[in-house]
Amino acid sequence: MIWRDGTLVSPGQGGVYGERMRGGYRVWDPRRSKLAALAHLDPAFDLEAGLRVLYLGAANGTTVSHVADYAEVVYAVEFAPRPMQDLLAVARRRPNIIPILADANRPEQYAHLLEPVELLVQDVAQPHQAAIAVRNRPFLVPGGRLILMLKVRSIEQGRPLEEVGAEAMAALEVGGYAVESSRPLLPYHRDHLAILATRRN
Amino acid sequence: MLRGPRSVRVTRRYWWGEIGNGVCTPAPADDGAALERLAALETPVDRWVPARWEDAVACGAVADRAAYLARLHRLASRLAAIRVAEAFRSPDIELAQMVRALDGLDEAINLLTERAVEWYSTQDPGFTRKFSTLPSRKLVPLLAARAKGPLRPLLAEIQSLAEGRAALARDVTRAADRVMPNSSALVGGLVAARLLAAAGSLDALARLPGSGLQVLGARTALFSHIRSGTPPPKHGLIFQHRRVHGAPMAVRGRVARALAARLAIAARIDRYRGETDPSFIEAANARIDEVLT
Repeated sequence: MIWRDGTLVSPGQGGVYGERMRGGYRVWDPRRSKLAALAHLDPAFDLEAGLRVLYLGAANGTTVSHVADYAEVVYAVEFAPRPMQDLLAVARRRPNIIPILADANRPEQYAHLLEPVELLVQDVAQPHQAAIAVRNRPFLVPGGRLILMLKVRSIEQGRPLEEVGAEAMAALEVGGYAVESSRPLLPYHRDHLAILATRRN
Repeated sequence: MLRGPRSVRVTRRYWWGEIGNGVCTPAPADDGAALERLAALETPVDRWVPARWEDAVACGAVADRAAYLARLHRLASRLAAIRVAEAFRSPDIELAQMVRALDGLDEAINLLTERAVEWYSTQDPGFTRKFSTLPSRKLVPLLAARAKGPLRPLLAEIQSLAEGRAALARDVTRAADRVMPNSSALVGGLVAARLLAAAGSLDALARLPGSGLQVLGARTALFSHIRSGTPPPKHGLIFQHRRVHGAPMAVRGRVARALAARLAIAARIDRYRGETDPSFIEAANARIDEVLT
């Protein structure tokens, strides 16, 4: 990943959502993007250039646009039509974003559009987030990475983050992932747990 | 190489073409035809066999990696745009927007009226609203006739907003009667439409359980209950229906529950049958009135 004086940036055309520019690079704000927050909190985290990425929960394309600056191609799945309008506008200027209006719960809606990917990013506000990651596991190459931004409050209100997170990680292990690490995204995002895992064979 | 019988029989379909019996057929070269084929595709993931872009090249569907991505980008973008348009075309989406606009108008009118009355009281030092039962929709025309200076056009503006609001409210009721006839028959078009807007769509409303419908629109109270154990809310938006807010305190929760349970059924009839069911409405109303007495 590219850093400029302690600021995370991505190489690409600016003006996607009013982001600041620094030295010709787009500033990737950890307060607006969970992936950027993870990069700030985890010194070992890296997003290599040229990856094939499946991004579940693409929303308005804020984070997706940054990922696309690094990746070769981003398959961006979003379920809600309203943010998809914005995502389509972002994809118009970034030919390596493949926008897909579909439900991440039902990969049969978009399986035929995909190719095997090296990275799966998931950021969806759903109750069964681990199950969604497991259901989308076939799209990962063996050894491929999963970054699951667990939205704890979409799963359960009123239970501690660690408990809900442990259950999700156990479900991932059962579903064929090897969980490597997990960390809360404080102080940038509340009630979020970033889980890193790889696909087991 | 040995092949299982299944891999021979099953045709593997991808956006760029399909492979069946070892024979590969590229998708139509024309974008329109390719889109039509793509829109109908479904691939169960347990049977999904990953295809690489090289397979598409070998099949003759595209020339190289760049062409693969360019065509996929074009087709996927168009497909997504079509699906967005389809999602917005259903009449319940328009109804939800209408009722949200109506609530926005109410807010704006109240705010402006308050400001204008305050302003008027400085022009007419004897003016007071104490002991006055005049509703503001009647007050505004009165003030408009007596106000001086730049306050006049503001009051005229409020009046025209109020007229627009009344027209929109009629439109909402009429649209709700058409889009959700059974729910509207139970709680009236306005409340039914507000429930629809709170749920997001008729689809989402029809999937809600009665208990969810009962507290729809009481989010703060509900989450305060879940988080810190305050008493649960008895009603959300359905409080606006007269049989709930008009019920004696002691049975209000029961009425809300009975009404919400019938509303859940009504929403499903609206969504999946789409026509009025008089016998259901009669039975539901009878049950709600029975709780009331």
